[in-house]
Amino acid sequence: MLKILNGGIEAIVEDWPGRLGYLGKGMAPAAAMDNVALEFANLLVGNPPGEAGIEIAGGYFEAELGVDTVLSITGTDMKPTLNNQPVPVWESFAVKKGDVLKFSHFAEFGFRSYIGVAGGIDVPLYLGSKSTCIFGSYGGFKGRKLQAEDVLPFGKPYQDLKSLPGRKLKKEVIPEYSRVWNLRAIPGPNTCPDYVTEEGMDFLFSHSFKIQHSSNRSAYRIDEVKGNFFAREDGGVGGSHPSNIVDHAYAMRGCLNVCGNTPIILIADGPTLGGYINVLSVINADLWKVGQGTPSRDFIKFTMSTQEEALQARIDQKALFTEKSLA
Amino acid sequence: MEVVAKAHMPGLVARVVVNEGDQVKAGQEVAVINCMKTELSVVAPSDGVVKSILVQEWDEMEVGSPMVVLEA
Repeated sequence: MLKILNGGIEAIVEDWPGRLGYLGKGMAPAAAMDNVALEFANLLVGNPPGEAGIEIAGGYFEAELGVDTVLSITGTDMKPTLNNQPVPVWESFAVKKGDVLKFSHFAEFGFRSYIGVAGGIDVPLYLGSKSTCIFGSYGGFKGRKLQAEDVLPFGKPYQDLKSLPGRKLKKEVIPEYSRVWNLRAIPGPNTCPDYVTEEGMDFLFSHSFKIQHSSNRSAYRIDEVKGNFFAREDGGVGGSHPSNIVDHAYAMRGCLNVCGNTPIILIADGPTLGGYINVLSVINADLWKVGQGTPSRDFIKFTMSTQEEALQARIDQKALFTEKSLA
Repeated sequence: MEVVAKAHMPGLVARVVVNEGDQVKAGQEVAVINCMKTELSVVAPSDGVVKSILVQEWDEMEVGSPMVVLEA
C-alpha cells in the first residue's frame, strides 16, 4: 500500500482503456490521459496491459511506501526521488516499506507522469474499470484526486518481485516528447463544405495552436479559429452561432469540438453529447500526446490521416506493450 | 533579505490576495493561479512583509515566474 503525503496538483488512479460502453448514458471513459506511458509503466513491473496506475499531472506528489514492492515511473521526468535519491524514469526499481517517493514538477517536455506498481492499484472496479472520472466523482479511489493521508492498496504482483527490478525499455520504443505535439486526425463528421469552409479546414491542418491554461482531463482548449472558418451564417435551428448544431453524440475520445470560435479536443472525462460541431477526430494512437501537452506552454498541430492509417497505428502501438519492448 | 513567491504551475493569475506592506507567514496564500480550471494557491516561502506585487489578474505565468516579493 501507499500512504499519500502530498497529492500535488492532480494525482489520480487510472487504467486503460477505461469505462467503455456507457457513452449512451452520458458517461465518459475516463482512463489514462497518456495510455502509452501507463502501459509501459505496467510492462516494466510485470503487469498485464490496462492495469491501473497513478497518473500525476503537474507534479509535487509525495507518498510513503507501506510494503516492499517494485515500481516504475514513466512519462514526463518530474525528477522523482526515493528517500531524496534520484530514481530512473522508464525503468523499474525495488522499493521498501518506509521509503518516501517524491516528485518535483513536469519537465521541459511533457506534463504527466505515471507510477506503475507490481500488481496494480487495488481499487474496486466500477462499471468495469478502475479509472477515476474526477468530473463525475466516480471510480478510482473514492472518485476523486488523491490527497494527504489517503492509503492506496496495491494488488497482488503478477510476477515474482525478484525478477522485476531493473527492467528497462529499448531506447527506440520510448516515445519522443516535444513542445509541438503533432496529432494525426481524420476530418469530420462536421466538416467542409457543409459546416466549415475549405480555408477553415486548411487553417486547422496548417496552424500551430497553443494549448490554453484551462485545459484539463475533460477538454484541451486551443487557440481560436478565424472569422472565415465557418461555412454557415448561423447554426440554423441548432442555435445562433455557426458552431451550433442540433444536439448530437460526440465521437469520444479525440473529437475536435468547436464551441463558438474555440476548438476543444474532447478527451478522457469529456462530454458525450452536445450542440456544437465536431470538425475532426484525433486518431486513437495519438491521444497520448494530448495528455502530455502542457497547458499555457505547448502547441498542437494536426496532420491529415486516414482510417486505414489510424487502424494500423493502433495495431502497431498495441504491439509495443509486450516484453519484446524490454531491453 | 528579499524572497520571492513564484508560480509553481503555468496558468493565469486569478488574483493576488495580499497588499504591499502586509505581514505574511511562511505557507500563507499570497496569490492564486488558475490552471486546468482549478485554482492553485501560491504561498509565501517564508515569513515576511510584502514589498512589491509583480503581477496582476489575467497575467500568464510559467513555472518559476516571480509573483510577489517579500522582505523576510
